[in-house]
Amino acid sequence: MSEFDAIVVGAGPAGSSAAIKMANAGLKVLLVERGDPPGTKNVSGGILWGKDLSQIIPDWEKTAPLERFVERKVTSFLTADSEISIDFKTLKFSTDRTGYAVLRTRLDQYLSKKASQAGATVITGITVDSLHMENGKVLGVVNEEDTITSDCVILAEGANPRVAIKAGLRQPPGDDDVALGIKQVYKLPEATINERYNLRGNAGFAGEYVLSFLEDDVYAGGFLYTNKDSISAGVVVSLSKLRENGKTRSFDIMEKFVSHPFISRLLEGGQIQEYSAHLVYEGGYSTMAKLYGNGYMIAGDAAGFSFSNGMVIEGMNYAIASGIMAGEAAIQAKKEGDFSDQSLSRYGRMLEESYAIKDKKTFRGIEKVTWSPLVHRIIPRIAENSMMKLFNETGEPKDHVVRILLDSAFDQGISKSDLLIQGYRLMRRM
Amino acid sequence: MEIEEKLALLNYKTDNQYAHITVNPKICETCPDHFCTFACPASCYKIIDGKLNFKYEDCVECGTCDIACSHGSVTWTNPKGGQGIKYKFG
Repeated sequence: MSEFDAIVVGAGPAGSSAAIKMANAGLKVLLVERGDPPGTKNVSGGILWGKDLSQIIPDWEKTAPLERFVERKVTSFLTADSEISIDFKTLKFSTDRTGYAVLRTRLDQYLSKKASQAGATVITGITVDSLHMENGKVLGVVNEEDTITSDCVILAEGANPRVAIKAGLRQPPGDDDVALGIKQVYKLPEATINERYNLRGNAGFAGEYVLSFLEDDVYAGGFLYTNKDSISAGVVVSLSKLRENGKTRSFDIMEKFVSHPFISRLLEGGQIQEYSAHLVYEGGYSTMAKLYGNGYMIAGDAAGFSFSNGMVIEGMNYAIASGIMAGEAAIQAKKEGDFSDQSLSRYGRMLEESYAIKDKKTFRGIEKVTWSPLVHRIIPRIAENSMMKLFNETGEPKDHVVRILLDSAFDQGISKSDLLIQGYRLMRRM
Repeated sequence: MEIEEKLALLNYKTDNQYAHITVNPKICETCPDHFCTFACPASCYKIIDGKLNFKYEDCVECGTCDIACSHGSVTWTNPKGGQGIKYKFG
């Protein structure tokens, strides 16, 4: 007889969502978190997109510790001297809210409290060292000398899933599977943020940047999100490019981003409150392992559920969605008294039908685009060159815009046919 | 701002009894790249007097070094319950 119907490892968005779902259905749930309190080990890329939380917490938009809703979304190329952006803001987002800036110590404590209120037993400050397994079946978790038994274990331990790796349920990630995220939180008065980013009330700014000004062949993206009275600024660094480069330090890239003339003035006067780092899953559909088996399921970042197509970075929404589905599969398994691989394959089927996996399939190979020379070097140069030609009055007769674009590409040593082919590949994958 | 100043802003509950990451000095001695010193965002890996120096106390538990080291020197585990980095914002 097991002590619990389900043990969830990790009280982040995936784990707490799974725990809430199961506890609401009357299952006996243990939620174990090594951080004390929850969230203190975690770093968010910034924005919680989507409405998956509505399924388990209908009033979350009123009760969760959300910083600001996204009203203005900027996607930019940063060269040494220039910024070329798509700057989208719409009043439509104030009625139809699509994304919220969050800070994880606040969000994760809120979610774990919801799990506790739903009836789950929540223990914090306890590190699960390994799984208790017999004949390939997961029977519980091990913490130092103690073993706690359960009919199933949901692994939601995040982007650095030590328990799953140790048990051989996940391959250790490689350079191409993950990128390194580094973040700094800057304290700034609410009024200054509103004025500087052209915001009112609790509307917010979310910016993603291609850092094409970085020297050598270091590739990194940047992000900037407004919280209520602070700014989250960060970089996502390609580990394979950093390794190839062999002379740039990851933390110097963070400093280069916030020192860029157009970024530093957005942070001016802000006091750094916190420096943090976290892995970000980049690998596409092909790198995803089997996410369930005899007595276990894997959800959230631990399952590799995060996504970026260069326009948005998503992760917490997939974590919540996959956590809820794992919870649902456990509820069905409990009804049937069967936690076998066969029974939990229901989780795999639910994932296949969900946007989490469908997005992975649609954007298969997207990481080849988001980390390509085309995006990180060629397009920014062409764009900058074209803009300079467009706006520079020299007294000479003007060319058509398309002519200017093609000439600018040619100036970069790219032929028209090559540009069309590369551009087509980019559009197809994005 | 220097990395040391940034790390000084962080709260840790340091476990003086247990290093959650260890390196094998024999492997590091002959390492041709020392990529860990470039990859680790908390500058826990440094070359001092030609030798690799590692201190786990500043670790922010991201897991990067385990991937960065392609020579099998790094042994990575989570700190024991409640110990290690303690973010205020996250």
